[in-house]
Order: sequence, then C-alpha cells, then structure tokens
Amino acid sequence: MVVHFESDVSGAWNEMFSAPGVARPMYQGLLGDLTSLDMVELGLRAEQLSRTFIDRGVTFAHSGEERPFPLDLVPRIIGALEWDHLSRGIAQRVRALEAFLADVYGAGRIFTDGLMPRSVVTSSPHFCRPAIGVVPPNGVRIAVAGIDLIRDEHGNFCVLEDNIRIPSGVSYVIENRRAMTQTFSSLFSNHRVLPVDSYPAKLLAALVAAAPAKAASPTVVVLSPGVHNAAYFEHVLLARMMGVELVEGRDLVCRANHVYMRTTSGERAVHVIYRRVDDDWLDPLQFRPNSVIGVAGLVNAARAGNVTISNGLGNGVADDKLVYTYVPDFIRYYLGETPMLDNITTYRLEEAEACAEVLAHPEDYVIKPVDGSGGKGIVIGPHASAEELAAIRVAVAASPRNWIAQRPVALSTHPTFVNDKVSPRHIDLRPFAVSDGNDVWVLPGGLTRVALGEGELIVNSSRGGGSKDTWVLSEELVTAPLLTGEVTQAPMDSAPPQQNDEFIGLDEEQQ
Amino acid sequence: MTDELRLHIRHHTGFIYEGFAKSSYNEARMTPLSLPTQDVEQTKLTVRPAVPLFTYTDYFGTHVTAFDIGEVHGQLEVESSTTIRSRAAAIEGDLTWSDLATVGFIDRMNEYLLPTRRSTVPADVLADVAPWRNNGELHDVVDHVSAFVRSRVKYVPGATTVTSTAIEALERGQGVCQDITHITLGLLRSLGIPARYVSGYLYPKRDPQIGETIQGQSHAWVEYFAGAWTGIDPTNGVRHTARHILVGRGRDYGDVSPLKGIYHGPKSKGGGVVVEITRLA
Repeated sequence: MVVHFESDVSGAWNEMFSAPGVARPMYQGLLGDLTSLDMVELGLRAEQLSRTFIDRGVTFAHSGEERPFPLDLVPRIIGALEWDHLSRGIAQRVRALEAFLADVYGAGRIFTDGLMPRSVVTSSPHFCRPAIGVVPPNGVRIAVAGIDLIRDEHGNFCVLEDNIRIPSGVSYVIENRRAMTQTFSSLFSNHRVLPVDSYPAKLLAALVAAAPAKAASPTVVVLSPGVHNAAYFEHVLLARMMGVELVEGRDLVCRANHVYMRTTSGERAVHVIYRRVDDDWLDPLQFRPNSVIGVAGLVNAARAGNVTISNGLGNGVADDKLVYTYVPDFIRYYLGETPMLDNITTYRLEEAEACAEVLAHPEDYVIKPVDGSGGKGIVIGPHASAEELAAIRVAVAASPRNWIAQRPVALSTHPTFVNDKVSPRHIDLRPFAVSDGNDVWVLPGGLTRVALGEGELIVNSSRGGGSKDTWVLSEELVTAPLLTGEVTQAPMDSAPPQQNDEFIGLDEEQQ
Repeated sequence: MTDELRLHIRHHTGFIYEGFAKSSYNEARMTPLSLPTQDVEQTKLTVRPAVPLFTYTDYFGTHVTAFDIGEVHGQLEVESSTTIRSRAAAIEGDLTWSDLATVGFIDRMNEYLLPTRRSTVPADVLADVAPWRNNGELHDVVDHVSAFVRSRVKYVPGATTVTSTAIEALERGQGVCQDITHITLGLLRSLGIPARYVSGYLYPKRDPQIGETIQGQSHAWVEYFAGAWTGIDPTNGVRHTARHILVGRGRDYGDVSPLKGIYHGPKSKGGGVVVEITRLA
C-alpha cells in the first residue's frame, strides 16, 4: 500500500498542499521521497524514531511522569525566502522588546511620550521592582527568546505570543534533527537543510558576551530548578553541549555580592548564570522567602555588577498578553521600522468599547487571561457552552485588565503520521532567537508543535502534543512565488473557515 | 513648638539566636533620606559581626544597606546612627476631586491607588467612607478618614504583629501604627486619593528638651497626593511635624520593612529594637 495523504477539509491552510495532490514547491521533493515508500515502511520508521527518543532519554515530565515527546516523521519545511522574512521579523521583534525592557527599567520614555499607559506596567505582577538598578553589562535582557507563530487561513504567519522569560523547547529541535538524520538519512540527501546544531555554541557566545566586563575569562553556568522540572532534560542537554556546569541553587553561594559555585575542588567564581528558575524563586531575600531552589543574595550580586542573570530579571513585564498588543507600536517607536510580522487581531478589554463588544458577543471571540499559561483559563467563544460564556462575562467585567480577546484563527495543518495514516493535524512554530548584544541570531526553523488528536488545537507537550523536525531549506528548490499572497488556491484551501472550525489555543505550561 | 529640630537618632536592632546562625542575607532600610523637610548631617550604619556593606537606592527611593554573613554567629546587631535637622511640612496641593478622576492621573498614580494585601479594607468599611468622595476639600476629607480610622482601631501596643493586615486589625479593633497606616491607605485609595506608606521615626514628646535622650519608636504614617505628597499621621491624629523623621516610602510595609533577611539556624530568643532620640538643638 503506497503512502496516501488524507485530504484536509478544515478550511485551514495546509502547509504541504496547495490543492489535493498538488504539493507546494518546497515540498515537492519530500512528497516524492515519501510516496516512494509504503505505509508499512513508514510505520517502521515511526517506531524507530520513537525508540531513538526513548533510548536518548528525550522526555518531558508531565504530572510526575516521564514521557517521550513524540516526534512525527513527516518534517515541516519552510522555504529559504519565507524563512529570510520570518527570521528578520523575529529579530526585529526581539530588538523592540529589548528596547522596551530597557525603557521600563530605565527612563520610561514610552509612558511620558503617551504611547502606552504606565499602569500597564505598574499593574503587572511581573514588573520586578528589585530589578530597577540591575543593569545588564551588554544591554541584553533577552539572551534567548521563543516567539510563537501560527499561520492563519490565508497563509500569513502571525505572532501568537512572545516568550522572553524562560523559553523552553530548543532541546527538541536539536534532538529531533539528530533522530531524523539517523532514521531517515535518505531524505536529507535530496534537500539542503540548514543545520541546527550550532545553537549551543551561539548561546554560549551570547552568555559570555553578557558577562561583567571585569570578568576576564567568564565562568558560565546553567541554573536548573532540578530534576523535577518539566524541562530538566533540556537543562542537562544545554549544559553538556555548551561544556558548562549544570547547577542547582544549593550549588551556588553569594558572598559580599560575588557568586561562587561549590565544586569538589573548592569554590569557583561564577560570572554568568543562564537561569531556568523563575524570578519568583530565584532569590529568597528578594522574592519568595521560602524558595529552596534559588540563591540568596543573587539579585544584589547582579546589582553590584559581579554576575549576570540571563535572561534578565523582570522580563515577564514584556511578554504578558496585554503588552503583546503594543509590540507593533514598540517596533515603530523604538526602532522606527515597520513591523514585519503581524499580531493576531487582539482587543484590550480594559478599553471600554472593546470590552462592551466582547461582553455582548463573547461567542465570537477567543478570550484569554493576560497572564495565563498552559492554555489555562482560555475560553474559545464559538465552542463554549452557555455556562462558560456566562462565567467569562462575569470574570471579564470584574477585571478587564486581566483579559484580552482575539479573533478566532484556524491554525494551519500539516500531514502527520497518526494511527498508520497520514492525516492533516494542526501545527504552530516556536523559533528561538539568541542575542549577544550586537546581533539577534535566529535558529533556522524552530520547534514545530503538532496536535496529534484529530481537530485538536492545543499544541502542547502536556496535552499530548508532538513535534516535527522543522527544515529551513538553504535555497528554493523550485522558482515559485512566495506563499504569502499566493493566489492559486484550490477548493481545499479556498473554503472559508467554518463556524465549527478549530481555533488557537496554543500555550505552554511553562515558557 | 519649635520650627526646626536638630536630632540624633540611634536605631538598634539585635538578634540573639538560640545557638548559632549562618548564611544570613539581609537588607536594612534604616537610613533617613535628605528631603525638603529634613537635612541629614551625618548618618552611619554598622553591622556586627563586621562584614562588607553594600548600599543602593531602591525603586521607591529608599536607601538600602545589604549585607551577608556566611560564618556562624550567635548574634546579629544592626545600628543606624543619624544626625538630622527636621522641619514640619506644609500642607500642599490644590487638586480637586475632578483632577483625581482624570485618566492620566489615575494611570500615573496607579501603584498608589491599588489595594495591596496588607492594606485591603473590607467592603462594609469602605462603604462607610464612600459618601465622602467628591464631597469637600481633599485635605479635609483626609483628616476625616484619619479620625475615622482612629474611631475604629484603638492604638494598643502589641495588639498585632508585624505580619498583621488591615482586615485583622479592623476585626480586632486594636492595632499599632503599622495597622492604622494600612487601613488609612486602603480607605484613601478607595476614594481615589493616591496614598503611600511611610516608614520612619517619631520623637514622642510634644515638647522636646535639648540634651535629653528619650526612647523613641519606629513609626509609620501616610503620605497622600493632592498636588504634592503630604504627610498625615493617623495614629496620632496629626499632620507631619518636625518630630517625624522619614526613612522610606512604599505601597505598604512590605516595601520598607526596616530589616528583612533570611538565615540558616535557630530562632532568635531576644535582642529587639531600640530607638533613642536626642534633641541636639
């Protein structure tokens, strides 16, 4: 039985096909390779892939249980031209967010200039007052960003959210590629896929660049909350690939505003801490006094300029969903540039008119808590019950600042191997950007998350999601118009989104 | 009473542990600010055991002294010693209720208008003062609120603890300056009047004698904004006087606690806080 690709009837953008059986230009080679296999062989390869993962211990912890994060064997492909646009758009966004953070923890020009109410910041639980006066040596608070993108019904990539606190997932990008090249090496011989294995070196270079100037040969460590953290595997992998120590709070000690690592051969000064511990738990002197995973005195050591905390303290003030609505303004205001990537149309419910509209018609919107994560608290209006709609009305009316509403968007789909069939499943994309103060580098591709349930929308490891190896081609294989604005849509894609269509509900329990 | 006082303040905090403490990390907010109402002539903070001190100015403009003690120690002493000249503040600002209601004003003052955990006042108590909104001159309403709080909560030393909230003090009907300040903050903010917590010292005698050293106290009062930040001491039912020495400001006690720290070891069995104030001139 040859490989058969099930058609997509959802009205969402299909990443591989522009019409049934008609592959988009960058997928033509892959389609040829895959259809030369039969279903049995595909099934064997899938099994081989999952064994590779289990052998390598690529897991995430969910409800106290270690599970593999399933890798789908049909890769996602992004063409060179489109990637060029995306990566520049991501870098632009990161530069603007960086400028905003410098302003928030600095002069506050954007408030006095009237572009944004100051209260958006002063009412944010992530506005970190102890971070005032903590100056990053090379000006970088966002060494690592994960910018979540989705592709809408028209093929446009839009930003779903910015993750600039502790974005996770890059280990899957690295491991996915490793597993795919082992299992499916033939696919790579026909494509020029940009490599992803330079990520650890780029990250290390960025961390070294962020070291205090007086540290001649800086020591970098990765600070993990420990083995029970969902992303512990990633902390281990990054530390190993960067060749630096993986530490927990109890391994570090502050003395007179210097930070030392306890080692078997005595104490050693530490200059840069790539921390994977949230602000709240990072320093029990400044934040939760009961934190046992933090390091007492760390914030003042950073304030004294003896250690760099990376990503910076208080970055969360710039990535809540209300601030998200201002990011295109940041790009114009701080950079004087036109935003290259669009936001999803989003309404601020603290604005009376928008609030009234959403209270009147909650069934027409996706309503999200500005500070939510893990898909928690999201109400997808068109799918919600009368009780859910009534409840969300009350919640929004009580504290509009805590909610935003978005236009429902159908996520694009991608052929995915599920239950011995290749069927369309919804996907998103989290590219990772690394900033060293001179340049924002975007890892080619990123993490494509896929919802494995049919019609399922939550593309999240904790909700049974999987991922795909994500290829950025180094050159276009076929000369073809850019995807965006492509007009040769066949019925499959041209059907308008159905009322009962799926909507965005992507989120991660942790950044 | 004299227009200006020259005072020396000694603020001593000590901990004597039941055994030994180590890995102690602390921040002291015990250094008075130089302000239009007070000129600091000299100020010094000492810590025993002797350790390096690191100072900085925090988000709210308060002088902070941070230090850590890694070695085992049986006791910890922190002493702040200041010579200062102090004057009463004038009642300033002529904003009206409609000024307070503008979008720009509310935005700018946001963090002094939101309730905090410690300063949250129950709805039934808020309802008692709600009719005063838009009714009368702002400074007068502040005086009414201050008197109202004193009518609800009797000043009783030791009635509450450092972690008590406005709600707890109201239920008890008793509290200390910290509680009375938190309740006043909650009420003023509910009326749309920006208000902040002030930490400092009070020279307790109305008629201070030169050369006499008396036991003072760590004190808390309120500043509200009606065009300028203006002090009012609801515990004593007075406006800011030359006897009020200001150390720090914040949204509530949590932003200005005189000494906060964490350490490994047994609990403190004694020590305590002493504030001595001497009028020099």
